[in-house]
Amino acid sequence: MKTILFSILIGIGAAAHAQSPYDVDKIPAELSKNASVVVRMEERVFDLKNISHATMTYKTAVTILNKNGEEASSMQEYYDKFSSIYNLRAVMYDAKGNKLKDYKSSDFKDKSATSDGTIYDDGRMKELDFLNSNFPYTIEYSYTKDYTGLTSYPSWYPVSDFGYSLEKSSYIFRIPEGMSFKYIQSPGLKTDSVKIKDKTEYKWACENIKALEYEPFAAGLKNIMPWVSLAPNDFEYDNSKGNIASWKNVGSWLYTLNSEPQILPPAVKAKVASLITDAKTPKEKIKRLYNYLQSNTRYVSVQLGIGGLKPINADKVAAVNYGDCKALSNYMKTLLNEAGIASNLVVIGYDMPSMNPTFSSLNQANHMILCVPLQKDTVWLECTSQHKPAGYLASGCSDKNVLLVTADGGKLVRTPVYSPADNYQKRSIKVNLDEQGAADVTIDSRYGCAQFDDHFQMTLREPTEQRKRLINQLEIPNLQLNNFSYAQPDKNIPMLKENISLKVPQLLTKGADKMFVTLNLLNRRESVPAKVEGRKTYFAVPYGYQDEDEVTFIIPKGYTVEFVPKEIHIESEFGQYTSKAVVKENTIVYTRVQTMNSKKYSPEKYSAFVDFYKKIYQADKSKGVLAKLP
Amino acid sequence: MKRKITLSFFLVIGAITIYAQQKASTPKTFKYGKVDPTEFETKVSGIDSAARGVKLFDVGRSWFEVSPKTGNFVNVYERHIRFKVLNKTGYDIADLEIPLYRGSAGSEELLDYMDAATYNLENKQIVVSKLAKDAKFSEKHDKNWTVKKFTLANVKEGSIVEYKYRIKSDFIFNLRQWNFQSSVPTLYSEYDIRIPEYLRYKVTPGGYVPVNLVKREQINENYYIPASGQEKSGNVQATALEMKYVAENVPAIKAESFITTLDDYISKLDFELTSTKYPNSLYKDYSSTWPNIVKMLIEDDNFGHFVKKNGYAKATLPSIIKNETDPQIKTQLIFDYVKNTLKWNDRHSKYTSETNPKTIFEKKAGNSSDINLSLLNLLTEAKIAAVPVLVSTRENGAHPGHPLLEKFNNVIVQVVLGDKTYLLDATDKYLTGDLISYENLAHQGFKLNLDTDAPSGEWISLEQSTTSKNNTYYNLVLSEDNKLSGTLYLSFSNYAALTQRNKFTSAVNEAEFIKNYKKDKPGIEVKSFKIENLDNPSELLTETMEVNIEDNVEEAGNMLLLSPLLFERTKENPFKQEERNYPVDFAYPLEENYRITIEFPKNYTLDKLPANGKVKLPNDEASFTYLFSTEGNKVAIISKINISKSVFTAEEYGYLKELFKSIVEKQAQQLVFKKS
Repeated sequence: MKTILFSILIGIGAAAHAQSPYDVDKIPAELSKNASVVVRMEERVFDLKNISHATMTYKTAVTILNKNGEEASSMQEYYDKFSSIYNLRAVMYDAKGNKLKDYKSSDFKDKSATSDGTIYDDGRMKELDFLNSNFPYTIEYSYTKDYTGLTSYPSWYPVSDFGYSLEKSSYIFRIPEGMSFKYIQSPGLKTDSVKIKDKTEYKWACENIKALEYEPFAAGLKNIMPWVSLAPNDFEYDNSKGNIASWKNVGSWLYTLNSEPQILPPAVKAKVASLITDAKTPKEKIKRLYNYLQSNTRYVSVQLGIGGLKPINADKVAAVNYGDCKALSNYMKTLLNEAGIASNLVVIGYDMPSMNPTFSSLNQANHMILCVPLQKDTVWLECTSQHKPAGYLASGCSDKNVLLVTADGGKLVRTPVYSPADNYQKRSIKVNLDEQGAADVTIDSRYGCAQFDDHFQMTLREPTEQRKRLINQLEIPNLQLNNFSYAQPDKNIPMLKENISLKVPQLLTKGADKMFVTLNLLNRRESVPAKVEGRKTYFAVPYGYQDEDEVTFIIPKGYTVEFVPKEIHIESEFGQYTSKAVVKENTIVYTRVQTMNSKKYSPEKYSAFVDFYKKIYQADKSKGVLAKLP
Repeated sequence: MKRKITLSFFLVIGAITIYAQQKASTPKTFKYGKVDPTEFETKVSGIDSAARGVKLFDVGRSWFEVSPKTGNFVNVYERHIRFKVLNKTGYDIADLEIPLYRGSAGSEELLDYMDAATYNLENKQIVVSKLAKDAKFSEKHDKNWTVKKFTLANVKEGSIVEYKYRIKSDFIFNLRQWNFQSSVPTLYSEYDIRIPEYLRYKVTPGGYVPVNLVKREQINENYYIPASGQEKSGNVQATALEMKYVAENVPAIKAESFITTLDDYISKLDFELTSTKYPNSLYKDYSSTWPNIVKMLIEDDNFGHFVKKNGYAKATLPSIIKNETDPQIKTQLIFDYVKNTLKWNDRHSKYTSETNPKTIFEKKAGNSSDINLSLLNLLTEAKIAAVPVLVSTRENGAHPGHPLLEKFNNVIVQVVLGDKTYLLDATDKYLTGDLISYENLAHQGFKLNLDTDAPSGEWISLEQSTTSKNNTYYNLVLSEDNKLSGTLYLSFSNYAALTQRNKFTSAVNEAEFIKNYKKDKPGIEVKSFKIENLDNPSELLTETMEVNIEDNVEEAGNMLLLSPLLFERTKENPFKQEERNYPVDFAYPLEENYRITIEFPKNYTLDKLPANGKVKLPNDEASFTYLFSTEGNKVAIISKINISKSVFTAEEYGYLKELFKSIVEKQAQQLVFKKS
């Protein structure tokens, strides 16, 4: 009797004190610091049945601490013809962890997930937005996903953004006996594996990860956060089986996918023959055929099942003159073949990290281009663009490992890198000043490679729009634009010319009887990156470039140059900077050269990087002083 | 004569012109597939000379049939359009998307017919590429929308692209809008509609290009009535009103800054059903008068009936207002309760998504109508005089003014407290009485009287009479090593405060907010930051801090230069274009005050100061004041920008441009010190 009573009492006591697991007070203080979002728990179990079938269960609970964390207040999961999502559940809790609301299955939206720029694919998504105006609150959701075709396995990267902290997360991966897979992981992460019946279970887990304060120029959090990437060796998807144990095998599989004979209609064959008839070198032939491709086809993306990996045959493209990156690359390959020039399809991750040489998988690429090996050099062709110069790759494609698809299997090769000197901006400005401080200005610029890309879009705009944009871009107060022009002298060279002429009613700043002139008229660094104490992430400059500016000021009659700043030279591992002003008769000639290297830098170098920019910022403000002659 | 009378109600918005056959405009006819070789020579000149494509013609026809499925009228919309692709950026013209809607009750839009082709001129021969079967796609976007997509083959610079399609729609209340204008120039645009005598539509035109009404006459039409139940099928002869509109040589529409929405400036036609009178049934009036619109809303489950359901209000009010009797305080308590309980889902609507406020409070979230009509519901139950105000948001475009329900997409609340009225919008917790969200600043709203005995309404002004102020006050000491240090005081009111409050709460924490603040202010360091009245939206939001500023004083020989506006300088004139066709819409009156006092070292002397000045627009509707003063080793500079009304006409654009030109010039002036 006594014991029963006692246990009842304990029971009541426990109930009265039972804290809900999602009470915000239970979040350790160090996990709230700098955080907008706290991942309370996350469990992912991926259970592989065979090479094409798997079931994944997923559950997570996330506390949204403030408005800044609202982007995490939703659930989105994608599926397609070869996967389905069910058992959807979701609950919202208040700050104390009391249940506010159970969501019904009708609350989840079923939407098309066709990506921008694609006309049609079978991507769909389940989506739920959790709305609450009172922070903090917690959301919890779970679902099961069945796969009936697989080309890749989910990876695990539980803290991938600034401002997120995490209590605990785990990823369990089960694979049947007799099947193999591969994985790479963050340094120091523990991998547990046990045999359970006829499967091997792998487990990765982490807990109590503090939130990271935002750091500018970050090159990802992978060097400090736990992660695992997995990939199959054998797979089956949309009735197509493959082995991708090595990059060589990935290439072989893609090669076989595309092994059907590629046939061109007689009219196109005749066109190829006539185009190359008087071309002297293979390079010339490539240019002509590429220009033909550019003016006769356009990019249309349709991705269905294996069609996401397998190019449409050349005869089909010839009939409609459109296709996606694979179809157009393969078509170009067929055109070249007709001209007796061999080429290879290239699988590439556009704007994605370089392919990992020791880890072969299909999810490190999103694009296809064409590689034409010639005796002396190699020509790379981006076949989806109607405008790119032959052989020129955009910065999203340059300087990375890519997979060359050959008859002997796949080969990892490196795409060309463009040096800072290739990515140039060369500018010559003439400023003719009058006594009131007004000026006539002409600006002649040339842009190369990556900077050519930056400005090329301008040439496709209508003149009124060009005018609007130019006026906005030129940071000269109250300018009156007279005329301007853009020209690409050679369609096959990534170089753009820009000529602008304008009038400024007041270019000089007046102060008493002096006039001040900002020598660096157009290319000033106007801000300095924020300082970060104890930076943790690597940082990077997206691409290297070199800017050369020359500004010639013609001093008005009745004035004399009273002061020009000293020559400035700044040298660092991030780049170089030189500026100087020379007074010659009635002119000041200001020159400035800034070269930036593209590299990834370790976190401790960041304050030196800020310092470098700060010096440039200060140097760019230098002014000359003009005084009125008595 | 009859025509003129009808036309008078077309001319609602000043700038719109619909000519009644005064200008000769002969309707043209086009046959699908019949392309003339001369069409390949089409060129565009003038402002659109570099257009990516041109519409050779765009012809719409619209009529009514009886649906065999429902026995009701369906609207048939047929469109025939032919483009010339002028350059590679115009390739998107060869991709066509047609979104089709399906309502929950099974009413739907169906694509009944579709054909398309590309034409190329090769060796003087026209080569046709027809739309292939595998180039047609149907994407189920969500439960209501399906998007039919088509892509055409063999498109090059100079190709002609042609589409013809037909949509049958069960939705006859609002017909598809006809746009005479689009992002490419149009040589010929025609819209022809045949409305059976049983239906009446209100036509609302919009835009700035001339549109000709070339035909308006009664014609005879045959309507096939399908068999249903005992009734046999048969034909009914009835009259129909046919109207045909033509616009020629229409330029492409182009966006400008400080506008509401581009849709307000496009030349277009809208059709809304006003009444029906079917044989053997009574005349039914839909929304041809404001009292009718109000009556309909009163009886709507997602409007009037929603407001009437007081179960939740009865149960909850006592805990919200407790023993409070003062109407002002009661209103505040209820307003706060709704703002803090309901989260806006970012959707504007004039109708609620549920039929009972209880469900909304259970969901704790909803659209703008869910939130504001729940507010109205609680206020009404608390015996506070409150009424709904319909709004067409800025993004949704200006309401034409005449009785047209469909154009409204939002609702807010007006309360009467004593002899004062306030506008309430509870979609953001930082909104207060009379501070409605930016999207609601549509200049006018329609106030409803939901009293069943006297349903009525009237237009009221939504103009903000209070100026939104942004004040920046520096009090600094300049040291001999060229550093500035001292205090900075910032204050914000109304919309300036709303923006600032949301900025603060969107940051992870205060440190991050300060970091963001410093981002575009090189050289500044901030200490002892204090923000006040963050959660007190009816009060001035203030920020005080101690600052140290480096790198903002430049040495040039023995002179020192300092831009006294520091980081607050207006560097660019927002009005850069030489001229403007549309009004400039600031949405609300605003003021920017800047004051800085600098105490400088005794061994510095201040060079001659720039001149003081004031620039203003006629009637003082906008002004800029710039004042310098000096006393001993102290100098003070004041800059004040005032925009005292929200909308300036296109004619006033030049004044505004000049005003900002002098702001940019004056604020760029430097203070010059000489070291001795």
